[in-house]
Amino acid sequence: MAAVEVGRMLRLAEQCLERAKSFIEKNAGPNEASASVSASSSGSPAQTAKPHQTAISPVAIAENTGDKSTSPKKTGHHKVLTDDGSGGLSPFLPPEVFKRLQTVASQDTIKKELTPIEQASRLNQKLKANYEARLARLTPGQAYQKTSLKLSLQRQMMENLIIAKARQDALQRKMEERRLRLQEEANRRFAASGTMTPEEQEQHMLYTNVLEYEQDHDWPKIWKANIKENPDDVTLVPRLVSYLKLTDSVSSGGGSQSFSSGLLLSPSLFDDLHTKYDYEDREESHTQEMLDQENSFEDLEEFLTQLDSASPHGCTDEAGSDSDIWDPSVLNEGNIQELEMRALKEHLKAIVKDIHIAIDQLLSLCLLSFECLNTASSKDLCLASIEEVFFMPLWTALVALFRKVNREREQAFEISMKLYQDASPADVGVPLKLFPPEPDRMQDSYPYESAVQELKLLFKDYCPQRKLECVVRTLRVICACAEDYRCLHEENSAPKTAAIGADDLLPILSFVALRCQLPQLVSECAALEEFIHEGYLIGEEGYCLTSMQSALAYVESLHTGQHPADMFI
Amino acid sequence: MAAGGAGGNSGRTYSFKVVLLGEGCVGKTSLVLRYCENKFNDKHITTLQASFLTKKLNITGKRVNLAIWDTAGQERFHALGPIYYRDSNGAILVYDITDEDSFQKVKNWVKELRKMLGNEICLCIVGNKIDLDKDRHVSVEEAESYSESVGAKHYHTSAKLNKGIEELFLDLCKRMMETAQAEERLKGNGASQSASSRRGVQIVDDEPQATPAGGCCSSG
Repeated sequence: MAAVEVGRMLRLAEQCLERAKSFIEKNAGPNEASASVSASSSGSPAQTAKPHQTAISPVAIAENTGDKSTSPKKTGHHKVLTDDGSGGLSPFLPPEVFKRLQTVASQDTIKKELTPIEQASRLNQKLKANYEARLARLTPGQAYQKTSLKLSLQRQMMENLIIAKARQDALQRKMEERRLRLQEEANRRFAASGTMTPEEQEQHMLYTNVLEYEQDHDWPKIWKANIKENPDDVTLVPRLVSYLKLTDSVSSGGGSQSFSSGLLLSPSLFDDLHTKYDYEDREESHTQEMLDQENSFEDLEEFLTQLDSASPHGCTDEAGSDSDIWDPSVLNEGNIQELEMRALKEHLKAIVKDIHIAIDQLLSLCLLSFECLNTASSKDLCLASIEEVFFMPLWTALVALFRKVNREREQAFEISMKLYQDASPADVGVPLKLFPPEPDRMQDSYPYESAVQELKLLFKDYCPQRKLECVVRTLRVICACAEDYRCLHEENSAPKTAAIGADDLLPILSFVALRCQLPQLVSECAALEEFIHEGYLIGEEGYCLTSMQSALAYVESLHTGQHPADMFI
Repeated sequence: MAAGGAGGNSGRTYSFKVVLLGEGCVGKTSLVLRYCENKFNDKHITTLQASFLTKKLNITGKRVNLAIWDTAGQERFHALGPIYYRDSNGAILVYDITDEDSFQKVKNWVKELRKMLGNEICLCIVGNKIDLDKDRHVSVEEAESYSESVGAKHYHTSAKLNKGIEELFLDLCKRMMETAQAEERLKGNGASQSASSRRGVQIVDDEPQATPAGGCCSSG
């Protein structure tokens, strides 16, 4: 009777197994399939025929050996077959099984977002572990219970997979619907222009991807809400840009997973950054362009050093010229230098243009992703933050190039600088009333020293906008100093003239530039001229830079004696 | 936000750059200080004092931001003159009515400005110090006929008596607005061609809510 019963159960089990196998092979991915197959293989017909060795997986063997003393006593508690996974976690689980359950659980916590199929596969693994644990506790004689356990395990695993499959399909449908909806949204935004240029098409695609990314990630929304709530907080935009940059460094470096802002970059976000086109593209264009620029500068540097060593004079005029004077190649030297200069200027022009384009693109990407930044003031802030990040690694190389191009101007500046190193302000045309008559009456060692100190700070920054601010501060200090000095003169008389105008400002500025004693100021200002924002051109910044340029040009011409300091104007 | 700052719709703000030219002692500094602060002898007017000044106006319901650039009168700083007056919408050329030389200088500048900037720029020739009329060395007829001949407007002012200054600047602003509007209309006609050549990345132009407040020039 019992044998008949066992035979029937066996057949049933075989059928179940067949179905499970075919189902798994049809639907699940290779990972799930192998996992489930291995799970069911422990209950294959060949093994069930020999009830004594039912669970031949290594873990089960280990359980059997390590469990011998405890299992006979406990079996009585487990007469009732519980199918749910939680029921199996009895306080007397053998250590190996417990460990295994734990590893499964910890795997779950590492990966946050699992697909339904993956979830089911996890669940099934748990079930199987429970099943093995229970099986191990059964005495060899309880074959019937073993079979029944196995069947219920297989049935449950099967159900889990079917449910998971249905959920997965539903999810996929929803994703597809969402994609279409976002596509339409992007279409609407770009609907105005009938025919799209390649750039517009690219933007269109980017925008769709941005929308999609934002559906999956909260941080852009949080930032947007934050910006909307605090429209007057000027620190927000720079923080956002540096956050974007941080994301970039994390995604490219892949190293640390936690942000300073306290947000955790989960592995799934990390993956997304690489699979999703939008942000990847933004970050990538960011780094890529920076890299490109750097590469081109490296190329340039290399090119320059080659030129320097190849041409007899190169760039050093102090040394080496004596021996070359009798060299026939000297005849061509002027020619070579002219050609070199022309090539350099062309190169510089191209690089300046590239930088402008790169910054434009970064800005428009930022505005595309964060529409709320599209106001005049936010845009300015955004641009400033981008530039700060962008120019930081570039400026030194960039100025090196500007210095090559402006070599003659710098040399002229240097000659004047040496000629006039001990000059008094009056020598460059500063009116007597605007500097102290006796130097020892002031705290500074020479007039306008504080302005000179301020101007020297220009070389400590690597961002054009900040340098520009430094120039503005220098002019302000000059005005404040001039005011103080005039007051010294007019202590007893009523003030006559109102305030410092350009007539007074430029001679003083020339004096300050001379005392600064750094010829590269010429190149720095030439570079600033290229990168000053259009909006600042007619403002205070533009005025200060123009004044500085004018003063520098005057200083350069000083040594030629063409313009005697006409003090009587 | 180009220097012209023009814009047909009333919501826009005009930003104009005005350069101030004149020899050292003609009183251009006093003139512009008088206009911007209406205080003749006040100290600490702006951080850059009288060299660079800004003024906000409201003319016939339209906002105007003026940036007034003082230039050095000395010859030796003129090598880079053109970089001072590029993108200027207006120029105020000041002479001293008691100083014939200063009027000659004005004539030189007019030539240079017209050469560099064409007819786009609104020119004002200003005879200052009319409180010293008894010492006048430049005749009213000569100054006015010359101004007319070069397409400039002529004004008489006294910074000391605060005469004619408000009128001078108001008149100049109105003229600059007319020029900007005419330019805008011209651009509007050719918009169909220029729209396609506009760079693809500059989508910000298409945003209707983007009405720049013209906050580019900080008041000095």
